[in-house]
Amino acid sequence: MKKRSSTLLGMAFFGPALVLLTIFLFVPMALTLAFSFTDYFALNPDLTHFVGLENYIKIFKDDLFVRSFVNTVCFVLIILPCQGIGALGLALLINKVTHCKKYFKVAFFVPVVMSLAVVSTLWMQIYSPEGILNTLLGNLGISAQPFIHSAKQALPSIAIMSVWQGVGYQMIIFLGGLQAINPGLYEAAEMDHASEWQKFKDITLPELKPLCVFVFITVTIGAFRMIVQPMVMTGGGPSHSTYTMVYNIYETGTVNWEIGLASTMAIVFAIFVMALTIIQSILTRDR
Amino acid sequence: MLTKKQKGINWILTAILLVMSLFFLFPVVWMLANSFKPDAAITADMNTAAAFIPPMPGGGFFENYISILTNTNFLRYMANTLFYAAILIVCGVVVNGLAGYALAKIQFPFRERWVLLILLLQIVPMETILTIHFLMIAKVGLLNTVVGYILPMIVNPFNIFLFRQVFMNLPDDVYEAAQLDFCSPLKYFFTMVLPMSKTVVATVSVFTFLNVWNDYLWPSLVFTSSNLLTAQIGLNSITSNENTTMGQTLAVITMVTIPVIIIYSLFSKQIVEGVTSTGSKEG
Amino acid sequence: MSFMEFKNICKKYENAERNSVTDFNLTIEEKEFIAFVGPSGCGKSTTLRMVAGFEEITSGDLFIDGKRVNETAPKDRGIAMVFQNYALYPHMTVEKNIGYGLRNMKIPEAEVKKKVDWAIRILGLEEFRTRKPKNLSGGQRQRVALGRAIVKNQKLFLMDEPLSNLDAKLRVSMRNEISKLHRELGTTTIYVTHDQVEAMTMADRIVIMKDGVIQQAGAPMELYENPVNKFVAGFIGSPQMNFYQVSVSGNEMTFSDGRKIRLSMEAAARLKGRDGQMIMGIRGEDIKLDSDSCNAHEPDQQKAVVENTEIMGNENNLYFTFGGSLTVARVSKDEVSRIGDEIRFVFLPEKMHFFDKNTEERI
Repeated sequence: MKKRSSTLLGMAFFGPALVLLTIFLFVPMALTLAFSFTDYFALNPDLTHFVGLENYIKIFKDDLFVRSFVNTVCFVLIILPCQGIGALGLALLINKVTHCKKYFKVAFFVPVVMSLAVVSTLWMQIYSPEGILNTLLGNLGISAQPFIHSAKQALPSIAIMSVWQGVGYQMIIFLGGLQAINPGLYEAAEMDHASEWQKFKDITLPELKPLCVFVFITVTIGAFRMIVQPMVMTGGGPSHSTYTMVYNIYETGTVNWEIGLASTMAIVFAIFVMALTIIQSILTRDR
Repeated sequence: MLTKKQKGINWILTAILLVMSLFFLFPVVWMLANSFKPDAAITADMNTAAAFIPPMPGGGFFENYISILTNTNFLRYMANTLFYAAILIVCGVVVNGLAGYALAKIQFPFRERWVLLILLLQIVPMETILTIHFLMIAKVGLLNTVVGYILPMIVNPFNIFLFRQVFMNLPDDVYEAAQLDFCSPLKYFFTMVLPMSKTVVATVSVFTFLNVWNDYLWPSLVFTSSNLLTAQIGLNSITSNENTTMGQTLAVITMVTIPVIIIYSLFSKQIVEGVTSTGSKEG
Repeated sequence: MSFMEFKNICKKYENAERNSVTDFNLTIEEKEFIAFVGPSGCGKSTTLRMVAGFEEITSGDLFIDGKRVNETAPKDRGIAMVFQNYALYPHMTVEKNIGYGLRNMKIPEAEVKKKVDWAIRILGLEEFRTRKPKNLSGGQRQRVALGRAIVKNQKLFLMDEPLSNLDAKLRVSMRNEISKLHRELGTTTIYVTHDQVEAMTMADRIVIMKDGVIQQAGAPMELYENPVNKFVAGFIGSPQMNFYQVSVSGNEMTFSDGRKIRLSMEAAARLKGRDGQMIMGIRGEDIKLDSDSCNAHEPDQQKAVVENTEIMGNENNLYFTFGGSLTVARVSKDEVSRIGDEIRFVFLPEKMHFFDKNTEERI
C-alpha cells in the first residue's frame, strides 16, 4: 500500500517536469536526429525523403558551412587563450593585492552583467570608424582601423569584445579556487625557502589544475556557441567573415526553412560540444 | 605580516591593476557619460577627456532618456520582460522544484535512472534543438504568443538537479512530523520544503531572471509583434532604427542594464556563490 | 480487548538478509507507559516506526484501539510522535510549530490558541513563544516537540529516543518532566531508548529487544530481579552484572580459577540434576564486604586485591579480578578501599543468577 502510494506521489511530482522534458527536450532531440537524415523542407513538408547520410556529406562540401566552421574555430582560438589566461592572471593579481580588492572584483565583473545585445550595441559604437576607439588610437599616432567593417578585422574585433565581456566571470571562478587553497601549503613552502615562482609553480598551479580544465572547456564551449554578437553587429559579414556554426544552423532552419540540413548541422555541432564536455569530465575525473 | 619589499610589490601591483581596470572600464564609462549628451556634443568631446565625463546636470540632461521613453515602446518592452520573468520564475520553481523533490525524497520506479538522464541532458547544447522548438511552436500556432515563448523555457535540467542536491539534505523526520500534523505532501512542499530551502529558491530565481532578461535568440524567433517584444529585442529594434541618435542608443542600453545591476547588487552573494560553486562542483 | 495489540509483527527490508523485527507479540493497556529498550540495531525504532506507519509491516497485525491499522496512513492512526532530532519546522515560531497540526485539522482558531497557550504554559515556554527553533537550546526544542505532540489530544504518544541529544543533567530533568506529563495526561506512551536508566525510571513496563526479537517484557523491577537470560541480566542495571564461568556439582560451584563457593539451599534445589558448566551472574550490590553484617559462613568468605576504584560519592565501585573475571562490587561510601588493598567479601547466595552455558537462558 505504502509503496504504491509513494509511486503515485513520485510520478505526480515528477510528472509536470517529465511532460515538459519530453515535449521540449526528448522529442526535439529525436526529431533533430531523424530530420538530419532527410531533406525536410518546412515550406513543402510533403516532399520529404529519407536521404541517408547525404546531408552529412553535403554540408562538408558546402563552402558556407566549412566557412562557418572555420570561423567558429578561429573564435575559439582567439577567445580561449585570451579569456582563460586573462582570467587566471587577473585572479592571481587581485588575490595578491591588499588594497581595493573589492573594487577590482566589481570592475572586471561589470561587463558580465551586461547582456550580449547591450555589449554588441555598445561596441558597434566604440568600433565605429569615427568612434572613440579610433579617436584614442589616432592620439597614439595609429591610423583609423575599419574593425567590424572589414572582412579581415571583424572576427578578431568581435572575439576581443567577447573576451572583454566574459573574462570577469572566469576571474571570479579562479578567485574562488585560489581562496580554497589551504594557506598552510604556502606557509610550509615558505619554511622550505620556496621562491614566489616556485610557490606558484608547485602549489598554485597544481591546486588549480582541475579548475583550469573546467574553465578552459567552458570558455571553449561558450565560444563555440557564438551567434548573438555577429548577428547584432555584422549580420555574419562582411562577406561571411563572422558567420558562425550556430548562426548557420539558425539561418538554415528558421530563415530558409531547410530543417533537414539545419538538423544535420545541429547534430555535428552537438557532437563537438558534447565531446568537449566528455573530455572535461575525463580530465577532471581523478579528483 | 608583509615585509617592506612585499609592501612595495603590493603597491606596484595595485597600481598596475588600477590602470588596467580603467582601460577595461572605458567602454562602460564612455557609455554612461555620453548617454546624457546630444550627438553633437558626443562628437565634439570625442577627442578630449570630456568624452569620459558626463555633462553638467541641467536642462536637457535626461533628454535622450526622455525621448526614448516617450517616443518608443521601450517601457512596454521592459514591462513585458519583467512579466515573462515573473511567470518563468514561479513556473520554474514549481515544476523543477517538484521534480527535484521527487528525485531526492520520493521512492518511485526508475528514480536513479531519471537522475542520470537529467544529468546527461545538461551536456546537450540548447542551440541544437532551437530550430525544432521554433518549428514546433510555429506548427501549433503559438508563434508571437506569450505561451509559445514561455512553455519551452520552463523545464530546466540544471535547476532540477540543483534542487535535488539541496533537497536531499532535508531531514526526513520533519516530513514525518508534518504527516502526523495532517499536512499533505503538496502542502508540505509549498509550506515547508520551499521555505526551508530559501537559498536555492533565491539562486534559481535570480538566474532565471537574468536568463530571461538577457536572452536574445529565442525571443527574437518567437516574437514579431511589437507589443510583445522583450527588452533585448526591443533594444535592437530601437537602435537599428536610422532615426535613433547615438546618445539615445547609449541611453537605451544603459536602461536595459539597470535592472540587472539592481539584481546583481541585491543578490551578489548568491550569484558569486553560484558562479564559484559551478566551478568547484565540476572541477 | 487491550488498547493496543501487536500480533506476530515481522519486518524485513527489501534486499535484507534477515528480519529486522521477528515475531513481535505484545499487548499494551490504556494509559500504560511502555519503554522499548535494547542496543542499537535491535529493532526497537523500526517497531516504533511501524506503529507510526512510516515503515510497512511485512507480516503480522497491528491493532490500535481495536482497529487493524496495518494499511492506515500515519495521520489516521491517532498518534503523536516526538522525534530524536526534534523535527521542528525550522521557519516557524514556537507557537506556530505547536499549533500547526491543529490548524491543519481545521480546528477553530480560538480553540487552537487556547490549546497552544495551555501547552506553552505547562511546558514553561512562555518567554520563547515567538522564537524560531534555531534560537532555542536543545532542552527548549525538546519541549516544543513535546508541546506539538500533546496539543493534538491523540490517544497514543510515540517517543523515539527523545532525550539522546541532551546533556546528562538536562536528560534527568526532562525525564522527570515527561513522567509528570504522562501522569497528568494519562496518554498511552511508547518510548524508545537505548538507555536502560531511562527505561527503568520512567516506564510502567519495559520491553527488551535484541536482534529484532523481544527478550523479555515486564515491570522494571521484575526485569531487574528476574532476568530471563544473560542478555537481559547484563543489559539492565549499572554497573553491569558480574558473570562467571562456573562448574556446579552438588551444592558447590567451582570458578575457573579453582575457587569454590557453596550454593544456597534454594539454588542447589533449582540446579539439581544439572551439574556441570554454567554461567553464574551476580550484581555488584550483592557482593558484600566483610564489614557488613551478613549471615555468610566463614568458609565462603573470599579475598581479592582491589585493582581500580570508582568513587561516586554516595557509593563506590571496587574493581578486582575474581573467579577469572573482572568483578565490580558496589559498596557504601563508608567502606573506603584503595587500589592495592586486600578486601574480604561474600556473594549473597540467594542473589545469584544461573544461566545455561549455551543458550544463556535462566536456569
